[in-house]
Amino acid sequence: MLAFASIALLPSCQRARGKWQGEQKLIVLGIDGMDPQLLTRFIQEGKMPNFARLAQRGSLKRLTSSIPPQSPVAWSNMITGMNAGGHGLFDFIHRDPKTLALYFSASRVEAPKHAIHLGSWVIPLGSGSAEQLRRGKAFWEILDEHGIPNSVFRIPANFPPVPAKGQTLSGMGTPDLRGTYGTFSFYTDDPTAATGAVEGGQVIPVQVENSRIIANLIGPDNTFRKGSPAATEPFSVAVDPMESAARIAVQGHEFVLREGEWSDWVKVEFQLIPFFGNVKGMCRFYLKQAHPRFQLYVSPVNIDPASPALPISTPSSYSRSLSEEAGEFYTQGIAEDTKALSDGVLDDKEFLEQSRTVLAEHRRIFDLQFPKFQKGVFFFYFSSLDLNSHMLWRLIDPEHPAYDATLSSQYGSVLQEFYQQMDQVLGEVLPKLDKHTTLLVLSDHGFAPYRRSFNLNTWLLNNGYITLKSDADPNNNEPLANVDWSKTRAYGLGLNGLYLNLHAREREGIVTPGAKADALLKEIREKLLAVRDPKNNLPVITRVDFAADVYQGPYAHDGPDALVGYNRGYRAGWKTILGAFPSDVLEDNTNPWSGDHCIDYALVPGVLLSNRNIAAEMPALTDIAPTILAEFGIVKPKNMMGQSVFQPNIARR
Amino acid sequence: MFGSHKVKIEGELLDKAKQCAEACGYESVDEFVLHMLEKEIKKVLPSDEGSAPSKEVVKKRLQGLGYIE
Repeated sequence: MLAFASIALLPSCQRARGKWQGEQKLIVLGIDGMDPQLLTRFIQEGKMPNFARLAQRGSLKRLTSSIPPQSPVAWSNMITGMNAGGHGLFDFIHRDPKTLALYFSASRVEAPKHAIHLGSWVIPLGSGSAEQLRRGKAFWEILDEHGIPNSVFRIPANFPPVPAKGQTLSGMGTPDLRGTYGTFSFYTDDPTAATGAVEGGQVIPVQVENSRIIANLIGPDNTFRKGSPAATEPFSVAVDPMESAARIAVQGHEFVLREGEWSDWVKVEFQLIPFFGNVKGMCRFYLKQAHPRFQLYVSPVNIDPASPALPISTPSSYSRSLSEEAGEFYTQGIAEDTKALSDGVLDDKEFLEQSRTVLAEHRRIFDLQFPKFQKGVFFFYFSSLDLNSHMLWRLIDPEHPAYDATLSSQYGSVLQEFYQQMDQVLGEVLPKLDKHTTLLVLSDHGFAPYRRSFNLNTWLLNNGYITLKSDADPNNNEPLANVDWSKTRAYGLGLNGLYLNLHAREREGIVTPGAKADALLKEIREKLLAVRDPKNNLPVITRVDFAADVYQGPYAHDGPDALVGYNRGYRAGWKTILGAFPSDVLEDNTNPWSGDHCIDYALVPGVLLSNRNIAAEMPALTDIAPTILAEFGIVKPKNMMGQSVFQPNIARR
Repeated sequence: MFGSHKVKIEGELLDKAKQCAEACGYESVDEFVLHMLEKEIKKVLPSDEGSAPSKEVVKKRLQGLGYIE
């Protein structure tokens, strides 16, 4: 009955025998992390003429982000028209309340659970699986139900992609071949280099003998072998003794790299079980230095789009045809290798080269796909502003602890250049607009400096909400490992999450649900809001939202009990996110990762631009899915919170 | 033991499940039933710690995000 009602709203000329034949078109450019302050500044400086034109002829407004303003949460708000209570994503990281085991919030990749053991081999029965954990219906699923053609490229929080009739390609949340969000390898013969696992990568010692190196590429865990050791494939390097160059050979591919040169994508096949099981990936090599010390960076091994080991597109063959058309591309959800820069494996220049390649690949796909768009909905996502704002903020912020005047003079304009690339993309879209076409350009959140870290768990410890065991093992780095749960009332996990140690929810919960829990949350909130940074007397935390107040939907009680909203300049400390206790509550952030947005959502709104008048005074991400549906006369589902931004709105979040 | 399993819900129980799913904001009865089952299983069965990846493995995976050290 509902379906009939929604169909009836469409002009009859648009439907024939159930097939949509309208002329309406909707283009959505999703630009992660585009900040309204920077955008306005660049427009005023004449650096972004296409955005200026769009804002002048149409609308430019701030777009209220999600609570918390983390990308998976924010894009899920956009995708489903619901907040975290409806789609179930509260943070990058979730926890099992019974075990405090941490897991990725957006997806789960599982090996087969049953197997036969034969000697050192483990033969799985059945296959593994990848499961998307975002709940709620995506706007393109509803478009499919109404026969509206659509294509959705690289939207976050859609791995593995939900079944769809149109072409979709998964984005943020898509792992590399090792199942991580990106693990690089760095090969060196430098005896002073710290080898082994580093953040987001692995430093592997090699020996140069007669100018030759033999090493292994590291692939996925081989679940066919007992203990699931990583699968490896050998490669060799012949270092030119005279020139700053090396010849690299891997599985029949041979290529020469000079110092400072990147390879194209190199396809690699990891054999898991002889003659039977293998998995295909691809990686890029960068010869950082040939002499006097050998230094070779290898990107995370990406899922090969031509032969994907895990589902990354709909139809499943689409990633292959796209790679045939556009060439290979990063399939890893977060492709910019921020950790290689943070670890010092890549320097700023090298990181920027890699980052520009990522954007060039995205633009190449856009340039091929956008001209094919005829009707319905076209969505395309760009990650570059987000990742580069994270890494380059220190170059535009003289107050940042990691500010370097020399580097700033060299690279201080690079962030603006990435913004200008987005302007060029918009310049390709604007000439295509006609009376049947609506354009939305939006970002999920803005940006702020990340100058100081607040270690929430240390603060909870110092204020008596956490008690450590008397026999605490200082060498145990497991998250919250040394906590005496019989005397602990609250703990922090994730970037903004504050949890009570609740009776009957947590395994050793001691806080009684109801009035006592509410009072405890209020008490902690008051104290957190009163925290001042002794360095400058600024408030560190500007809001603390209670889940019960801000979430609606069936999953409202599955996440944190409260969301900590930091002031601009502050963020949850690096170690507190996974439940550690650094000695200081507040400390400088000297990491190259110097900008962030995981703070008070009201301080980092995104942007919304359109070629039409945006009537809503305060549009929000949860309005976007209803807006898309309304453009095609589709009545939004009851559980969608927002409404079309082209209608004047009431208070919304 | 393997694969999926279908449960038939009909009559008054189905009607009430539909009402609950809609009232609570679930997309479908399927989503409602699955969420209820997951919650009840968590209450009754001991947590499956053995099958979960170790915290160190999760940490390594998450470091690729950039947000954690």
